[in-house]
Amino acid sequence: MCGIAGIYGYHYAANPIDIAELRRIRQRMAARGPDGAGEWCSDDRRVGLMHRRLAIIDLSERGAQPMASADGKTVVTCNGEIYNYRELRRELEAKGHIFRTETDTEVLLQLYAAKGPKMVDDLRGMFAFALWDGERRGLLLARDPYGIKPLYYADDGWTLRFASQVKALLAGGKISAVPEPAGWAGFLLFGCVPEPFTIYQEIRAVPAGTTMWVDARGPAAPARYFSIPDVFSSAEGQRPARWPELQGRARAALLDSVRHHLVADVPIGAFLSSGVDSGSLLGLMRDAGQEEIHTVTLAYEDFRGRREDEAAGAALTAAGYGSMHTTRVVTEGEFRDDLPQIFDAMDQPTIDGINTWFASKAARELGLKAVVSGLGGDELFAGYPSFRDIPRWVRWAGLPSRIPFLGDVARHLIAGSRRFAPLLHPKTAGLLKYGGTYAGAYLLRRGVFMPWELGKVMDREFMAEGIRRLDPIGLTGASVGPSPRTPLAKVASFEACLYLRNQLLRDTDWASMAHSLEVRVPLVDSRLLKDIAPLVLSLPTGAGKRLLAASPSTALPDSVVDRPKTGFETPIHDWLQRDDRTQAWRRMPELASATCPWARRWAYQLAAA
Amino acid sequence: MLALLSDAYGSDGGIARYNRDLLTALTSSDGARRVVVLPRHGHAGPSDLPAGVWQLKPRGKLGYVPAAMRAAMRNGPFDAVFCGHLHLAPLAAIVTRLIKAPLWLQLHGQEAKGPLTRAQMWAVKQAALVTAVSRHTRQHFLRLAPIEPHRVRVLPNTVANSFMPGSAPGYLVERHGLHGKQILLTVGRLAADERGKGHDRVIRALPALAAGNPDLVYLVVGDGGDRARLEELARQAGCAGHVRFTGRVAAAELADYYRLATVFVMPSNQEGFGIVFLEAAASGLTPIGGNCDGSSDALADGVIGIAIDPESQDQLIAAIRRVLSGDRRDPAQVQRFRFDNFARHLGALVDAHLGSGPAAA
Repeated sequence: MCGIAGIYGYHYAANPIDIAELRRIRQRMAARGPDGAGEWCSDDRRVGLMHRRLAIIDLSERGAQPMASADGKTVVTCNGEIYNYRELRRELEAKGHIFRTETDTEVLLQLYAAKGPKMVDDLRGMFAFALWDGERRGLLLARDPYGIKPLYYADDGWTLRFASQVKALLAGGKISAVPEPAGWAGFLLFGCVPEPFTIYQEIRAVPAGTTMWVDARGPAAPARYFSIPDVFSSAEGQRPARWPELQGRARAALLDSVRHHLVADVPIGAFLSSGVDSGSLLGLMRDAGQEEIHTVTLAYEDFRGRREDEAAGAALTAAGYGSMHTTRVVTEGEFRDDLPQIFDAMDQPTIDGINTWFASKAARELGLKAVVSGLGGDELFAGYPSFRDIPRWVRWAGLPSRIPFLGDVARHLIAGSRRFAPLLHPKTAGLLKYGGTYAGAYLLRRGVFMPWELGKVMDREFMAEGIRRLDPIGLTGASVGPSPRTPLAKVASFEACLYLRNQLLRDTDWASMAHSLEVRVPLVDSRLLKDIAPLVLSLPTGAGKRLLAASPSTALPDSVVDRPKTGFETPIHDWLQRDDRTQAWRRMPELASATCPWARRWAYQLAAA
Repeated sequence: MLALLSDAYGSDGGIARYNRDLLTALTSSDGARRVVVLPRHGHAGPSDLPAGVWQLKPRGKLGYVPAAMRAAMRNGPFDAVFCGHLHLAPLAAIVTRLIKAPLWLQLHGQEAKGPLTRAQMWAVKQAALVTAVSRHTRQHFLRLAPIEPHRVRVLPNTVANSFMPGSAPGYLVERHGLHGKQILLTVGRLAADERGKGHDRVIRALPALAAGNPDLVYLVVGDGGDRARLEELARQAGCAGHVRFTGRVAAAELADYYRLATVFVMPSNQEGFGIVFLEAAASGLTPIGGNCDGSSDALADGVIGIAIDPESQDQLIAAIRRVLSGDRRDPAQVQRFRFDNFARHLGALVDAHLGSGPAAA
């Protein structure tokens, strides 16, 4: 896991690239790769690639990047890991390819030589890479199927710049910081900035599961090579299976994913909570043959002895699987000290991620360079309440929401009555307007603010423009498309393509990379998704997690499986609301009321800052 | 290809010149060998047109819509429709629907300042390709328009081979009484409704510049409704003796005017591109222009000329003094804007977005 950047002056009128700019971009990502820094520039200075290295596989200098092919015709800079690189290497060697290093990076070069841009179909991993093809004079940008690793670009019409972080691109000093209304509107609606937008007009995300080809004509439209909704759609046609068969298939698929995610030349630890996802992964790591496993759990001083405290449950799970366990206690004082660094590392505004900041900090303190996380379990195994709520709302509101203007009338009436019923959640007013469709109901479920509220908290014209450019319902619907038919497949696609991608994975990236820590997510894996989707669709809603818990050879105990979901609560919300540096929300009467959800205050705070 | 545009052959002005370059390049590339042009203005005889271009009679406001429909139905079949002005985009979009061909829209700068009408928004959504004359115009348009960025490309102005360095032509020195003078030059329309080229700012800078250099003359080439105001401004600033207004000059003499100059300066803030910077640079000058509009492209971000904050008198004066004292940019840098690069790029865009080449859109 690393930081990558590059500049390509593709247009005939563009100036040669500015190496100093590229170094400034790379320097902003120094924490992503403390083990090395490399650069490559074409002879004609039309293209330059940069790399910051966090050495995980082949720690020698031979693994340094950017890496050129033996004939010098292709050069690659990659952030991430290709978990199946050994299989791919064997296949390529059988076809006569000769390798010079033990790295997964070289596999990318050789695979490109064999297959061209179609190579991405063969990759299993988390990656964002840029590959310069000197013969075709084109740059291939690619991002993994789920979007675990970030990749942003700015195209000014002459020159394309890309980097692993938005703030790094800006640090180069050549990109306009004009705000993108759609990015800000999206942040206030969802609590994170939905891709492909960022909060800057000139910077966009390479969408997850796509490649982008850039040649003298400029960047082509992103070409999709992997679609999560399409996987669910294919799974819908498969025959339902019985529990023993489901269990066997799930175990095999999960063990296979965990095995792949343990490929490394450094020790791999694990984040551990008291829940099913990380606990099951720990058991599977044991099954995969890893003997020494260091596990890390966060505990908060404020939660000591309370239901929300994860420490005791996690310690039990750790003891059950015999890991070397550390409980790291975070105090409000430490939070206050770290807050400026957290804001600096936060690549784009988000209402989450601080928990991961401290967990990553703790892992790095233990000397770990890479850990496994249970992220993605709720999306894959249908663990969120949204899997029940959204289909129910669509059933209830489907018919009345089709009556013209009824939704708007109801919204006005309910919003007006909140004065008399202050405990009514502000989103209730949108139930009839949005609840009738899956895209609308998803916005209701995950929304921080509702579209009609944005003009009250931010500049009205800017927000109206933002809503127009973003088209939140259209964007939400388009992320899934028409393919999945069943409610579970639809919601799972929404959760994976929006919440997981734009919030959880992105936050995990900036918060962990700030501590030079690689977080591996075996439950966020394209191959695993293909194996598990048909199984989850065979189960009643809510039963998926049992399948996961039963997968290790020593299954997780029922006490863990049946433990009520705490929703990863932390006292960070209270700390943020108490901190004198984050008090802008108090200016807004609506946000100052005692019943206001904290996420609204936090989102406003970040937007107003 | 059917080209619906304001003017091309038989017209003067920047847009007409750009369209002529584009049509010439189109017919010399493999993308489209035959173009039927329907202009709003400008009569052209067969000898004015390059091979492959057929220009219909110009049509005024009322007659243009039926003429476009008629041309689409009778003069085709067409593989694509080129729309040379945003104002014509709704009509062009309807035509493309009618004949089921892709739409290519060209943006020149001023017309794309927005906001867009609903009809223009709709038309833009239909466009398979939008070409903008500069990065600035592209970026501004992307803020206004509901279109994916990869469909909006930059296709800059070109500079004609007739602009090249040379000694100051005696007939112009004689005509304007410029013996022994150091000449600051601006070429451009003096439009009362725009006032964006920065003539005012140069005139206001003259007293400071002329204080140590009594032989300095500011030569204003071009004419328009703002001339009287600028003349008055020069009088008020006490530098009227250092300013010469030439009025409109013959196209054949323009290259010679550049050869008169010591410094080309146009601190504009509203240029779509600023082809005059290229002409100046091709004539061996180091042009000075603004850094907040399309001028940045013509100046190649300071590589071809000096880009300054056009609102800063201090920067303007300093830049002029630098060039007067010999600070020069590499004159070869302007060669990137020669026609053959333009034509090659245009051919590649047409292949990728409208034609049979590898799909980029």
